[in-house]
Amino acid sequence: MYDTPHSTDASVTQTHIKIAARGVQVHYGDKHALKDVDVDILDKTVTAFIGPSGCGKSTFLRCLNRMNDTVAVARVSGEILLDGEDIYDKRVDPVQLRAKVGMVFQKPNPFPKSIYDNVAYGPRIHGLTKSKTELDAIVESSLKKAALWNEVKDRLQETGTGLSGGQQQRLCIARAVATSPEVLLMDEPCSALDPIATAQVEELIDDLRSQFSVVIVTHSMQQAARVSQKTAFFHLGNLVEYNDTQTIFTNPKDPRTESYITGRIG
Amino acid sequence: MTLEHIQSVFDRDLEYIQAHIIRMGGLVEEAILDASKSLEDRDMELATRVRDNDTAIDRLEEMVNDECARLIALRAPTAVDLRLALTVMKVAGNLERIGDYAKNMAKRTGVLIQMTPVNGAHAALRRMAREVQGLLKDALDAFIQRDAELARDVIRRDRDIDQMYNALFREFLTFMMEDPRNITPCMHLHFIAKNTERMGDHVTSIAEQVVYLVTGERPDDVRLKGDNTSTLAFLQED
Repeated sequence: MYDTPHSTDASVTQTHIKIAARGVQVHYGDKHALKDVDVDILDKTVTAFIGPSGCGKSTFLRCLNRMNDTVAVARVSGEILLDGEDIYDKRVDPVQLRAKVGMVFQKPNPFPKSIYDNVAYGPRIHGLTKSKTELDAIVESSLKKAALWNEVKDRLQETGTGLSGGQQQRLCIARAVATSPEVLLMDEPCSALDPIATAQVEELIDDLRSQFSVVIVTHSMQQAARVSQKTAFFHLGNLVEYNDTQTIFTNPKDPRTESYITGRIG
Repeated sequence: MTLEHIQSVFDRDLEYIQAHIIRMGGLVEEAILDASKSLEDRDMELATRVRDNDTAIDRLEEMVNDECARLIALRAPTAVDLRLALTVMKVAGNLERIGDYAKNMAKRTGVLIQMTPVNGAHAALRRMAREVQGLLKDALDAFIQRDAELARDVIRRDRDIDQMYNALFREFLTFMMEDPRNITPCMHLHFIAKNTERMGDHVTSIAEQVVYLVTGERPDDVRLKGDNTSTLAFLQED
């Protein structure tokens, strides 16, 4: 048996809206991938996006830190406000935005550098530190936040790719939190991990919630139920239902949500 | 929800559990009718059979609970499936209690048969038992058909049972005041009436579970209590 993360507090205590999306549409060439999505993502809350493959959940996640900018055929319209400011405004530098809205991907993708340099990379390029001591402190605190410090503190100069899968993913989380982001986006962060590493990352997500707003895309409905306080169900490019996770899993309002989460053909 | 699960074994599990509930419901309805019939007909053999059959009801409750525990552990049910698992466990508990009350009625029948019958009481108790059985049948139909409206109707109709109990309570009180020799049989008859009234409460609980199963919400209208004997003062008129 492995340790399961302690159950998350089901109640949503935060009401501050971190990200407000209004009428968000995404086209990939002719394909209408996301249709008119309105959603308020709360601060210091874990929000899960669930839905079948191709439903638009990852597409929407990528809108939140303008990762779709890198896709030539992608066209995003509508409005996404981070603390009331339009992130698609011409004056917003996407690189600065991504320091504020960090991202962790499905497969752990540490740089082929030392553990230390992986975490120090963000603070360095964004010029967040003035001295080596300061940088050391950020690396240490980031690795601690990612619950990895105790495992790697004696081998910070070893290469990051030499760690186990779960450790690599936590290293990527440490790298993402090193720039002190306000929002952390996670695109299926546990799908390449074993149950123990998954439990550790889920435990970590629950800890991170006290500092950031976390948005997680997951195919595991049980994971959404375990880690999130709010859940959004996407289907065929539409945001079908968005509610407290507890409500989504006990009494969903839309029959499409019900069919999906109960594993029915629909 | 008429749609089938992608994993057909999930549907089979759910059907299996519901089949137990329906079987249990049938046995409990039979127990109510037989117990009250044994009382009216002074049929000792039937009363004994009711007492013996209660074991089968108890065993079914255990099976339902075991199956639900297995379903929750292995299938991690959500939404309507989760509500079904929670509902059937409670419904099984309610049915088991009703079965116990019927068994208790049969036990008291064994004592009452040896006494002089109290005028009209047995027939009145049998009418009350039939009323409860009808209510239980509707509650179980509401469960099978996922009919929240029928379930709400059952909740409302429990008041009739309460009123029947009130009437019997007063009647037994009168009999006991008239002749102290009536006290022993009337005490037994009163327990039967009270237990039958409690059966009605368990039927109401089943109906409430059905409303929750179908709608996801607890029935909001607070049930009007029809049993007011707890506040009835014992007044000597002369």
